[in-house]
Amino acid sequence: MSNQRPDNRAWLLMLPAMSVLGIVGLVPLIAVFNYAFFDIFTLQSRFWVGTEWFAELVGTPDLYAALGRSLLFSALVVLVQFPLGIAIALMIPRGRLAGSLVLMLVAIPLVVPWNLIPMIWLNLLHPTYGTVAQMFDAIGFDFDYKFNAVHTYALLVTVDTWHWIGLVVILAYSGLSAIPPSYYQAARIDGASRAQVFWHIQLPKIRPVLLMALLLRVIDSLMIYVEAFGINAGGPMGATAFLSLELGEEINAFNYGPAAARSVLYFLLVLTVAWLFRVAMQREVK
Amino acid sequence: MRGILRTLALLALAVFIIGPLVQAIVLSLTVTLPHPGVTVGDWSLVNYRNIFASPALVASLGNSLTYVTANVVLTLSVALPAAYALSRYRFVGDRHVFLLLLAFRITPPVVLSLPIFLLFARLGLLNSPFGIALVHCLFNIPIAIWILESFISAVPREFDETAFLDGHSLPRFFVGHLLPVIAPGVGVACFFCFIFSWVEVVFARILTSTGGKPITMAIDALFTFQTDIGLVMAMMVLSLVPGVALIWFVRDHIARGFQLRA
Repeated sequence: MSNQRPDNRAWLLMLPAMSVLGIVGLVPLIAVFNYAFFDIFTLQSRFWVGTEWFAELVGTPDLYAALGRSLLFSALVVLVQFPLGIAIALMIPRGRLAGSLVLMLVAIPLVVPWNLIPMIWLNLLHPTYGTVAQMFDAIGFDFDYKFNAVHTYALLVTVDTWHWIGLVVILAYSGLSAIPPSYYQAARIDGASRAQVFWHIQLPKIRPVLLMALLLRVIDSLMIYVEAFGINAGGPMGATAFLSLELGEEINAFNYGPAAARSVLYFLLVLTVAWLFRVAMQREVK
Repeated sequence: MRGILRTLALLALAVFIIGPLVQAIVLSLTVTLPHPGVTVGDWSLVNYRNIFASPALVASLGNSLTYVTANVVLTLSVALPAAYALSRYRFVGDRHVFLLLLAFRITPPVVLSLPIFLLFARLGLLNSPFGIALVHCLFNIPIAIWILESFISAVPREFDETAFLDGHSLPRFFVGHLLPVIAPGVGVACFFCFIFSWVEVVFARILTSTGGKPITMAIDALFTFQTDIGLVMAMMVLSLVPGVALIWFVRDHIARGFQLRA
């Protein structure tokens, strides 16, 4: 990039940001790695147990079951939110005001505090005054998110889509609006159909932004905690006990050593996903 | 025909997004528990009056606004120089910085909650809005750097050089020249910092077990054996006001500047 000059003094400008991240990110991470090798009764009395917690975790099917549930949820989230989000971004009117209004609309759920999101949705399903519950009653549909695992998943995916569709739409739209008009003119001269324009111009052009959106959505849905806990606390019968819910349970039970070992594994998982995305992005740039 | 279909689809979207909030707003305007002077089931502003009659709830509004403001100020003041460095210079390890930022942005709060609690207990940052402000930098600094970097890179380099030829120092250049030019980027960065900080619950919960509770935790505390759901919903509606106001301010720029370099 011709706009950049080699100068290592630039690190001085990075220093404030890196110091803050060091305090709130690096130091706690090192501490977690450290705890993972101890049996902790109180913070003063702890015993070195080596890799015992890791061996225990990796040796039981429990971890893989939770990983499977988390991956299933992430897959559902991506399969629903990406086609829908891209479709909405394509539908956003070109006019300034109308376009802004749609973007503002989809951004609203993003500013709702996370612990209120389950409250809002459970209200809709409240047996006595919930609007959605009454609609289901009227058509005779027996919706039971508490004891029917399929219904719990459906509700979680719906809630997550309500919450996060705005992010996918905003990122897809930002990619679309960066496409120069000359591309469309060329396509019109060649007589390209709407579908051809989408597959050969729009989709390739928004791929880098979509990758970014995909990374954020995959990681955030893999580690979903607050909303999933609020809706059904991992039930029915642990069918929605995702990775982070199991970790939360362990922290609440004060099993600090095993909780730290779990945290380390999750962090490595997240880091691997991020690294894969980085490789994909770099291929994209080339 | 296509126009009608599109309008219908956008209307369906509006119902899906707004619908769940409508019931919450209606409940917030309804009497849901007996209070003096009103009957259960009536329309009334009693829930909103009760918020301002409760010192704990009023304090939580103040706490939330304090920590979010402190977080945005701290985040932007350290992210601006970093974004400038990444935009203008090549230096040892600059390509790795982006992966590092990504790693911090996506580290799940649950993973760090325990050591953060212990560290902040030692630093005396528990039960204070400033503890939350500091810990939320973990995911907001990376976001702010990405956004500001893309806005700064859109400014030609000659712009900096003219300012330096006029004899401006780097800090004066940032405040006096660069900030006005990338104001939309600062707005978008503020918006994303605000939303990720305002809505966060895991850190906010562990850092405020006995005091300094933000709105989110104050609402959790309202759930008792006889919950006044109208009051809960009134608090929820209030918690949306600052965010929706911010959306209005950045509406024309929200879709710019999230282009990330790998």
